[in-house]
Amino acid sequence: MSNIIRLVWFDLKPELKPPVWIIAEWIVFLIQIGVYGVMISQLVTNPMIGDYRQFYAVGLVIMITFDMASHTGRHFVEHAHEGRLPYLLSLPISRSKLFLAIALQGGAELSLMLAVPLTVTLLIIGNLTWISVVACTLTLFWLGFGVAGFMLGLSFIAFKSSDLYTAIVTGLSTIIIRFSTVLYPFIVLPSQYASAALFSPLTYGSDLVRLILGFDPSILLNSYYAVAVLTALSVSTLGLGLVLMQRLVEGVKSA
Amino acid sequence: MSEIRVILAMARNDFSYFFRTKWLMAVLLSLNLSDMLVVALVYKRMMTFDYFAYFVPAVIIMGLFAASMDTGRRIWLALREGVIQYELSLPISTHGLVIAYLLAGGAAALVYASSLMAIALIVLPAHAIWSAFMLLPFLFVLAMGLAGIAATLAAVASTHGEFFFAFQNIVQVALLTLSTVYYPMEVLQNYLPPALITVVAANPLSLAAEALRQYTFAGAPIEPTFLVKILLASIPFTVVGAFTYLAALRNFQVKGKI
Repeated sequence: MSNIIRLVWFDLKPELKPPVWIIAEWIVFLIQIGVYGVMISQLVTNPMIGDYRQFYAVGLVIMITFDMASHTGRHFVEHAHEGRLPYLLSLPISRSKLFLAIALQGGAELSLMLAVPLTVTLLIIGNLTWISVVACTLTLFWLGFGVAGFMLGLSFIAFKSSDLYTAIVTGLSTIIIRFSTVLYPFIVLPSQYASAALFSPLTYGSDLVRLILGFDPSILLNSYYAVAVLTALSVSTLGLGLVLMQRLVEGVKSA
Repeated sequence: MSEIRVILAMARNDFSYFFRTKWLMAVLLSLNLSDMLVVALVYKRMMTFDYFAYFVPAVIIMGLFAASMDTGRRIWLALREGVIQYELSLPISTHGLVIAYLLAGGAAALVYASSLMAIALIVLPAHAIWSAFMLLPFLFVLAMGLAGIAATLAAVASTHGEFFFAFQNIVQVALLTLSTVYYPMEVLQNYLPPALITVVAANPLSLAAEALRQYTFAGAPIEPTFLVKILLASIPFTVVGAFTYLAALRNFQVKGKI
C-alpha cells in the first residue's frame, strides 16, 4: 500500500506546488456561477426548470468531474508518449497496483478540484448536509471512474497515433457534454438530440446528482436507469482498462 | 523589403501550424459548432426570446477569440521548446518576429471565424451579407488585439510552465462572461454595478458580437462610429501584447532565458 501512496504522491506533488490549476478551476467556477449563471437564469423562463442557476451549478460540477476524469485517462497517454510509462512499468509493483495508483491519483485530484465547487453548489441549492455531500461525492466518483476508464480504454488508440487520440478525445468530450442533460433538462431536448443524450454517461450522472439534491423528478430521467448505466460503465471500462494494462502495455511504444 | 518578406514567411509558417494542429481543430470545431447547433437551439426552447438568433452571431466571435488566444499557446511552445532560439537566429529583427506572430494570430483567427460565419449564414437568415465582408478588416484588428492578450499571457507565464493555460482559462472566461456575447446588456444592467457595465460596454467582444448581430443579421446600416469603437477597443491590446512579447524576447536575448 505504501508503494501505491508513494506513486500517487509522486504524480500529485507537481499539481500542488503551487496549486495553480486547482485555484484557477475554482476561480473559473465562481465567475461562471456568479456572473453567467445569474444572467442566463434571468433569461430561462421555462416554469418546469425553476431557478436555472441551481440546475446550471450541478451541470458545472458534472463538467469538472468529466474534465478531471478524462484528464486522468489522457495523463496515462502522455506518460506513454513521454517515455515515463516504461519507467513506471519497470517499478517493482504489479500492473493492477499501478492501475490502482493511477485511479487513486485521479480520485485525489477530483476531490481537490471539487471541494469548493461542490460546497458552493450545495449552498446555492440550500442542501448542504452530510448526507447530500456523501451521496453526491459517491455519485460523482462513480461517474468519474467510469469516464476515466473509458478514456483509458480509448488511450490505446494513442499507441497508433497520439495526435489522433488527442483529437478524438477532445472532440468527443465536447460532444458528450453538449448532447447530454448537463446544461439543460431532458424534457426540453429536441427528439433527435434526446436520443443522442441517452448514450451520454453524463446524462445519467447529472440527473442522479440532481435527484439526490431534491430537483423535481419529472424533469429527470428514471434514477434506476441512471444507477444501472453508471454502474455498468464503471465496472466495464475499469475492468477493460485493467485487463488492457496487464496484457497489452508492456513493450508497446507510443507513437 | 526583404525584412517584410521574412516577416510574411514567418507569419505564413505560424498560420499553417494553427490549421495543422489536429486536436486544436477538433476542439474548436466541436465546441463552436455544438454551441451554434445544439446549445443555442436548446436554450431557445427554454426562453421566451429568440436566443438562437442572439447567440449564433456571438459564436462566430467566440471562435475568433479562441483561435486568437491560441497565438499565446504557440508563443509559449516556442519559448518552452527552444524554437525561439532558432527563430531569433533568422535574418529577422526582434520586432519583426513579434509582428509575424501577431499577424499570423490575427489571420488564422479571421479565417477560422469566416468559416464559422459561412455556417452561421446557412442556419440563420442574414439581411445584409455584404456587411459581413465590410466587418472583416475590423474583425482582423480585433483578432490581432486578442492575440496581443494571448502574447502578454505567454510572455508573463513563460517562467511558470503550464500555468499559462490556467491564466488563459481565467482571462478567457472573464472576458466572455463580462460581455454581451451570452446575454443582452439589459439583463446585465439589472445586476452588475455601473463600473462593470462600463467594462462590458467597452469589451471588444461585446462590440464585435453586437456589430455582427445588428449589421449582418438584422440588416441595420453600418455606423462608422461603431466600427471606430471596435478599433479603439482592440488596438491597445495589440500594442500592449506586442511590447510585452518584445520585452520578453529582448530579455531572452540578454540572459539566454526568460
